[in-house]
Amino acid sequence: MERLTIKDIPLEEYTITPGSACQGCGPALAARLVFKALGNKVIRHGVPSCPDSVTATPRTFSVFESAGAALTGVSRALKILGRDDVMAVGFIGDGGTYDIGFQALSAAAERNENILWFCKNNEAYMNTGIQRSSATPLYAWTTTTQVGPRGRGKETPRKNLPFIIAAHHVPYVATASIAFPTDLIGKVLHAKKLKGFRYIDILCPCPTGWRFDPSRTIEVARLAVQTGMWALYEIIDGREFRLTYKPKKLKPVEEYLKIQGRFRHLTDREIEEIQRMVDENWERLLKLDEMGEFPL
Amino acid sequence: MIEIRFHGRGGQGAVTASRLIAEAVAKEGKYAQAIPMYGTERRGAPVTAYVRIDDRPVRRRDLVHEPDIVIVIDPILSKKPSVAAGIKSGGLLLLNYPKPPEEVEIGGDFMVSTVDATTIALETLGRPITNTAVLGAFSRVTGIAKLESLEEAILKRFPGEIGKRNVEALRRAYEEVHPPKPAKGPLRPGEEEPPHVTGYGVLKSVADWRVFRPVVDLEKCVSCRLCWIYCPETAISLVDEKPVIDYDKCKGCGICVHECPVKAIEFVREAV
Repeated sequence: MERLTIKDIPLEEYTITPGSACQGCGPALAARLVFKALGNKVIRHGVPSCPDSVTATPRTFSVFESAGAALTGVSRALKILGRDDVMAVGFIGDGGTYDIGFQALSAAAERNENILWFCKNNEAYMNTGIQRSSATPLYAWTTTTQVGPRGRGKETPRKNLPFIIAAHHVPYVATASIAFPTDLIGKVLHAKKLKGFRYIDILCPCPTGWRFDPSRTIEVARLAVQTGMWALYEIIDGREFRLTYKPKKLKPVEEYLKIQGRFRHLTDREIEEIQRMVDENWERLLKLDEMGEFPL
Repeated sequence: MIEIRFHGRGGQGAVTASRLIAEAVAKEGKYAQAIPMYGTERRGAPVTAYVRIDDRPVRRRDLVHEPDIVIVIDPILSKKPSVAAGIKSGGLLLLNYPKPPEEVEIGGDFMVSTVDATTIALETLGRPITNTAVLGAFSRVTGIAKLESLEEAILKRFPGEIGKRNVEALRRAYEEVHPPKPAKGPLRPGEEEPPHVTGYGVLKSVADWRVFRPVVDLEKCVSCRLCWIYCPETAISLVDEKPVIDYDKCKGCGICVHECPVKAIEFVREAV
């Protein structure tokens, strides 16, 4: 990734505002930051999702299942037309990435198509009213993982999609957060220069679905990273691994969980369980970072 | 049959309010129907919902076009005459509005009643979710649903502390509502754009989504650019390294207020 300071972030905006996203929308900010780095030489592909931010770019749409195939078409058409200056970019939610769009995504990654895929990850299907996806974390409340006498929220941890994509041996995989704009934009600028399949998974808190006040979107996004619930890293060619944010000590996950309504029901024991899971995962990531290698 | 139309904004609970009324009158032995109007509404965007109440089963399934009662739970929408469109002669317009009915600007052949539900909601719930407060005023002014049955419906839907605070809001509005007066304001429905403007994509202005407005103290500002980079709507631009807010783009989310490291941005309640 490229290392930036906040003063290096381009002033140009490529989002057309105000849009129709909720107040304090994380994905709306993710779109703004990503396209600041990409510019407008882009054909943006989307599947059904919340509106996030409208961008001053041509757009294509498809059903959930076929984003990977449609982007393949866009990227190959651009190649035939000799338009090396235009990028095929997917800006797709976690439902269209982790779940419904996964088959075509995996296929496009395996073929190493010349595509930049951004996952605006708000950890559930927010557009249809907060249904769980496979990006939803353990014990989170959603409308399909209820909390009550027989339910404690989602029963399983989320799947580790960035690692799964890295296992396709693609040139670039990274995770990012809207609370760390220089890190995010640095990764986009780096990915922009590469060819082949590139994937960046951006955690974007959703005040409506995660149940917190819209003014705390950035605070929640920041705490996700500082507590280790969402680690920032990059994986190059499916081989090199690097943590891009490495605090000396992680904050307790409780600080992240207790400010969100979707985790309000957690007992101390459940919080401890999540803490153990995060600690173990962080240990593994530190080891990978030390080796600098992705073990495939 | 009594027909009601709600106007509000996503997140204020217009749809929930319509359901609470239906549940409350059903407890009293009446028949009721609550219809949410779904578009691409997000939190903050205008929303409508409808209720029908009768002593016999309700067979109609269309939207309400000529309501007996219009309830507006958003103070800014309460200034737009088109919320009163189609209201029946002698009907009632119940507004969330901080001023008494005599100072309402909307006029016509109906009665108007007001309650300052935003202040009540901020003081009881701590958030500008005005639906339950407006229901208290509705019960007092119309007598259609009893306060007790509304309380029961609220406590069933919101168990625990949240339910108790909503009941407090309901009761306070029951006491504080201004009784109906003939609507004598100068503005008539149909004299401006319809209130139900949903936006898919790009809106002209979202100024009336706000309950609070961020105001920058340039003396305190240290030009760190954080408010600028964290604004989802590009409402903040930099002029000589200082933030300038475009209030047509600002939805009032409060991220800039929360993130400013030197507390140079204040969140000020919007005047109505």
